[in-house]
Amino acid sequence: MPKMYDTPLLDELEKGPWPSFVKEIKKCAAKNDMAADELGLLEKSYKTKIGYWKHGGIVGVRGYGGGVIGRYCSIPEEFPGVAHFHTVRINQPSAWFYTTDALRTICDIWDKYGSGLTNFHGSTGDMILLGTRTEALEDIFAELSSRGWDLGGSGSAMRTPSCCVGPARCEWANIDTLELCYQLTQEFQDELHRPAWPYKFKIKIAGCACDCVAAIARADCSIIGTWKGDIKINQDEVRNYVKNGFDIQKWVIDMCPTECMSWDGSTLTIDNANCNRCMHCISKMTKALKPGDEKGATICIGSKAPIVVGALLSWVIVPFIKVEKPYDEIKDLVRKMTEWWDENGKPRERIGEVIERVGMRSFLEYIGVPPQPQQVKEPRRDPFWFFTEEDIEKIKAKEAEEKKTGVYKF
Amino acid sequence: MDTETIKNKIFEILEKAKGKKKLKEKDVIRIASEELNVEKDDVKKVLRDLIEEGKLCYSYTGGASSVEIPSEEYLREKGMIK
Ligand code: HEM
Ligand code: HEM
Ligand code: SF4
Ligand code: SF4
Repeated sequence: MPKMYDTPLLDELEKGPWPSFVKEIKKCAAKNDMAADELGLLEKSYKTKIGYWKHGGIVGVRGYGGGVIGRYCSIPEEFPGVAHFHTVRINQPSAWFYTTDALRTICDIWDKYGSGLTNFHGSTGDMILLGTRTEALEDIFAELSSRGWDLGGSGSAMRTPSCCVGPARCEWANIDTLELCYQLTQEFQDELHRPAWPYKFKIKIAGCACDCVAAIARADCSIIGTWKGDIKINQDEVRNYVKNGFDIQKWVIDMCPTECMSWDGSTLTIDNANCNRCMHCISKMTKALKPGDEKGATICIGSKAPIVVGALLSWVIVPFIKVEKPYDEIKDLVRKMTEWWDENGKPRERIGEVIERVGMRSFLEYIGVPPQPQQVKEPRRDPFWFFTEEDIEKIKAKEAEEKKTGVYKF
Repeated sequence: MDTETIKNKIFEILEKAKGKKKLKEKDVIRIASEELNVEKDDVKKVLRDLIEEGKLCYSYTGGASSVEIPSEEYLREKGMIK
């Protein structure tokens, strides 16, 4: 029978109408010593306002550098159950589709070797199993891998790629997010398990600009589905929306971020050249509007939470790329991007920060993507590349030539 | 170059750095390949074999990963030595 602690402070967190992690930990604590001591330790932290966890060190399964995150308690004499409390990350299936059987398997393994506590899912996307001991790691890994699971990424590695539910359930998906996510995960196995880079690198894939996985804010490489050409309008359906009391002016026309839509009382017009494919109008009038037929993705780079410098959102690098099996173009691009970052990055510097420090020009040259207007992030931030010594020599030579011959070339 | 020499070099580099500097995989590969005048890929292969065998481990501090010689205590905990 696990030790029961008095937890008056934590108990407060069971009182609201919302789901309570305290309630869940207590369920585990009734049958698991690790979970029981976790609860006791947390109550102590709440009382003393001090954290008692130590991070990091060599903790993992043989051959892998990622997937296990070492945690130790700094007062193990008092809470022996959490002396070791390592986290295990499991690579989730694309878009988090599970059978109940699969989930039961994971939970059984975790009840056997760990605290029984889980987190579905961590912000990387992985399934997170919370709290186990060093000596259990190889057994956990063996049991998981014999059932087809693998660990996810951690440390300065490629992190487990993740994606939105995409075409599996969503009519707005412009690309097969699930397949692309799976293929990229396979392609970058070495980078995922063996951390060799300056810091972490995350890939997230959304099927459209609604961006249900928040790729634009949470991934070093955000791949977001989009289309080329005109939004398809069914004018009868538009009129139907209006007839049924939908205020098209207020909710659609006035909210279009580029002000490229107009409504004259009977016909909706879109100036598609100025549409930035934000999905707002389509998501408001699903029956009336559909994306154009030529589908692909926009690739943006560099978002991250604040660590070395402040938070960044991803920046458009490739305005439109075809997303077709076997995705060689995207794989090559990701490889080039990470190579450049690995060459130029200092320890703990994310790719977005290196671009800010070293410059967009160097980055674009290395990955072989030409500068283009869509990359301009905001007005007056356009001149992010400069003439090289070589360019200036060329210009001078051209001018000298023109002066000599009197023929000017533009 | 024979594998033994590269192995010894890798251990020498990591012993020297122990407690002073965290070396990434890339650093170890670079130093060994310069000092022995061998291809980086050859060093990488030997390094990876050592990691596979559990003679070396990846370690982690504050978000950055490095390569280290595991302590006996750790190997004992993992049941890799008695
Ligand atoms: C035919 C004559 C002119 C043409 C075609 C012209 C064209 C332009 C263009 C294309 C810009 C860039 C706008 C932007 O990037 O947003 C600009 C900016 C500017 N121009 Fe002119 N310009 C002319 C005359 C003048 C004159 C006579 C003055 C001042 C007395 C002037 C002052 C400025 C200033 C201050 C800006 C910067 C505005 C800002 O960034 O807010 N321009 N001009
Ligand atoms: C001591 C005198 C001045 C100071 C301290 C000063 C300071 C500044 C500053 C801080 C900016 C904003 C720059 C930016 O955000 O990029 C600016 C912009 C500007 N200033 Fe001045 N300024 C002075 C004199 C002048 C004079 C005499 C003129 C015109 C005859 C002038 C024309 C402009 C213009 C057109 C801009 C806008 C530039 C743009 O947005 O591209 N300034 N100034
Ligand atoms: S991001 Fe777009 S495609 Fe993906 S689930 Fe959300 S709305 Fe659907
Ligand atoms: S997708 Fe966005 S930018 Fe394009 S027309 Fe609709 S609301 Fe405007």
